[in-house]
Amino acid sequence: MSSTLYSVDNLSGDPPGAKQRFLQPGVLGGFLSYLVPGLGQAVQGRIGKALLFFFCLNALFYYGLYLGNFKNVYLPRAKSLAPQTLESLGLPLKFPNPIVYRPQFMGQFWIGVSAWPALAQFFQYDEEENPGPDPLLGTYQRTPPEAELNLLQNHGDKSWDLGWVYTVIAGCLNVMVIFDAFAGPVAPPEEKPRDKRE
Amino acid sequence: MLSGLAPFFANGYFWHLPLIIVIVSLVYSATRHDDWKLIGVEAYRWGVRMVTFLGMIGLGLYVVTLFT
Repeated sequence: MSSTLYSVDNLSGDPPGAKQRFLQPGVLGGFLSYLVPGLGQAVQGRIGKALLFFFCLNALFYYGLYLGNFKNVYLPRAKSLAPQTLESLGLPLKFPNPIVYRPQFMGQFWIGVSAWPALAQFFQYDEEENPGPDPLLGTYQRTPPEAELNLLQNHGDKSWDLGWVYTVIAGCLNVMVIFDAFAGPVAPPEEKPRDKRE
Repeated sequence: MLSGLAPFFANGYFWHLPLIIVIVSLVYSATRHDDWKLIGVEAYRWGVRMVTFLGMIGLGLYVVTLFT
C-alpha cells in the first residue's frame, strides 16, 4: 500500500514544511480528472489546483454552451448524409459520419461527464426521425434540427460559433489536466538536498 | 487613429476574449507546475504572449483595412 502513496511539501493551504501522504499521480487520478476536471488532483491532495481546474474549465465549457444557446454541443448520427472517404487520395479509409459531420465533439468529449448528455442523446435518438424530448434530458445536447442550425449560424451574431470554440478549448485543456493527474506536473519540482543527519 | 478601432470593440464578441486568455494561461501554467508562485509567473508570461500575438494580428488587419 505504501507504494501507492508519496510525500509532498508545500501543498496549497499547508503550513511550510508540512508533510502529508496522498495518492500519487496515476491512471486512477487521470480517469477521475477526465470525469470531472480537477477531481484527480483533489484525491492526490492538490486541492488548490483541483479547484482552479474545476472552476476554470467548467466556467469555460458552460460559458461556451451559454453563448451557443445551449445548442452547440451534440453528436449527430447523420445517417442520411454522404460518407466521407479518402478515396480521392487513393486511401480506402472511411470515417464515421458522426465524427465527419461534427468533428468539434472530438474536443468537447474530453471535458468528461459534462459532455455525456450528448452521448446519451446520440445513442438513444436519431435526430432525423424528429423524436420527442428525453424524459430526463429533454433536448439538452441533442442535435438541433437542420432549420434551427441554419438559423443559429446564418442569423446570429457569431456567438454560436464562438461558443463551440470555447467548449472545444475547455475539452482540450482538460487533456492537459488529465495528464497532470496521470503523471504529475510537466516541470517537476527540484529535489531539495537531503539532510545528512537523516 | 484610435477612433478607427471603435467598430472593432463595438462588436460584443471581442469582450469575450479576456476570459479565455486568463483561463488558458492559468490552466496551462498549472499543468506545468505545482508551486503557486511559479504558476503565477508562468501564467503572466503566457497571458502577455497571447495578448501580444493577438494584438499583432489585430494591428495587421487594421493596417490592411486602411488600404482597402
